[in-house]
Amino acid sequence: MTPPDRYEPYDEPSQPLMRVDGYRESQLRTPSRPLYKRPATLTEITGPLNLAKKLKVGMNDLSRIKQGAPRAMGQLIWVTGRLLDEDAMPVRGSVLEVWQANAAGRYVHKADSGNPAPQDPNFFGSGRCVTDREGRYAFLSVKPGAYPVPNHPTRWWRPPHIHFSILGEGFMSRLVTQMYFPGEPLNGIDLLLKAVPDEKGRERLVARWTPMMQLERADVVGFEHDIVVRGHRATPMGF
Amino acid sequence: MAHRRVPTPSQTIGPFFPEHFVGGADHDLTFLDDKSKRAQGQKIYIGGNIYEAERLPRWNCVVEIWQPDANGCFAHPNDPRRARADPNFVGWGRRSSDDAGWYDFITVKPGGYADPLTGKPRAPHIDISIMSSGLMRRVVTTLFFPGEAANVQDPVFNAIPDAAVRERLILRPEKLERAPNDAIAYRLDIVLQGEGETPFFVD
Ligand SMILES: [Fe+3]
Repeated sequence: MTPPDRYEPYDEPSQPLMRVDGYRESQLRTPSRPLYKRPATLTEITGPLNLAKKLKVGMNDLSRIKQGAPRAMGQLIWVTGRLLDEDAMPVRGSVLEVWQANAAGRYVHKADSGNPAPQDPNFFGSGRCVTDREGRYAFLSVKPGAYPVPNHPTRWWRPPHIHFSILGEGFMSRLVTQMYFPGEPLNGIDLLLKAVPDEKGRERLVARWTPMMQLERADVVGFEHDIVVRGHRATPMGF
Repeated sequence: MAHRRVPTPSQTIGPFFPEHFVGGADHDLTFLDDKSKRAQGQKIYIGGNIYEAERLPRWNCVVEIWQPDANGCFAHPNDPRRARADPNFVGWGRRSSDDAGWYDFITVKPGGYADPLTGKPRAPHIDISIMSSGLMRRVVTTLFFPGEAANVQDPVFNAIPDAAVRERLILRPEKLERAPNDAIAYRLDIVLQGEGETPFFVD
């Protein structure tokens, strides 16, 4: 299958603002000068297609340290979805990475060492896989806990979320995003989710419930989350 | 018409990108794995500091690069010369800036090429992306080499009208402690915001 050869600029209201009121780090790190427009050349419309050879994949169980080990605390979840391009074509063979807090809202990361929430020695906390022929990915995990952003004047709590990093099929389809859970009251006050001006854009960040009877196992709650990366293919799609 | 899909919104990478995702030799592009041959071309080392506002070093940025091989080819279907691409070169690397804000890569000097899309010659260059807690979208720019005749015609280099600003994207030869002995070392600091701010491009 041919990878995308055409990348249009992002539709601005569907992408987040760079400077977010109340999110101090965004004020300190966002460039202050306007961005320059550059033409797309071969470098921008290509990208590494064989990263699954360089990066270790096949880590799709975040709920335990290794196979056969005891499972982490919390509600088991099954997260699956498809990686698509703007023509709704599956993006195959793309490396996809996820990481999240444990059920108590703490990360397996040295930068979270000041967090008073407990660590869970049985929680692995991150995964990496490669999308299949349908562009599908799947992870087993536990539902992440919400966590308060330290010392924030508005008592900002991050709602439960999973971080996603998608390598895609080209430099221009690289995407780092977060997935939110449906029906969470904290979604409404989250500064990062609210940074997307367009309501439809915000909805694209929230997963859907999977009906229980569609799941292969009875001990998990399922979420379905499709992700769309930029790119159009040379052959126009059907009418 | 086929159903158009709108790209999923970007969100910040946050402070907790797993350390084991940026470990090992992912910042060394000169080989694929222990069994593979070395990539062709001149080995180079690129290092520098990343700064946020007030020129404070920024640790824990995730930095990625993408470049053609020593002959200016990409192992990618969009490149008509892909059959000639170096099989031992993947062109992609990733590094996390350390506690002092330092990032670095070991790679080979990219070749220039005649761009089929713009009809213009591309000077040797490396595309770089920076992701960080606080950056709601990645920032992207392109690094160029000093003394390259092709720089003056390069369509990306010339997308920045101000020559003094453009200069900030040119790698500077410098003796760097962490550079391997057999590599030519270059330095390029990245200023996310403030005086001497690096020019970034629309993603
Ligand atoms: Fe988070």
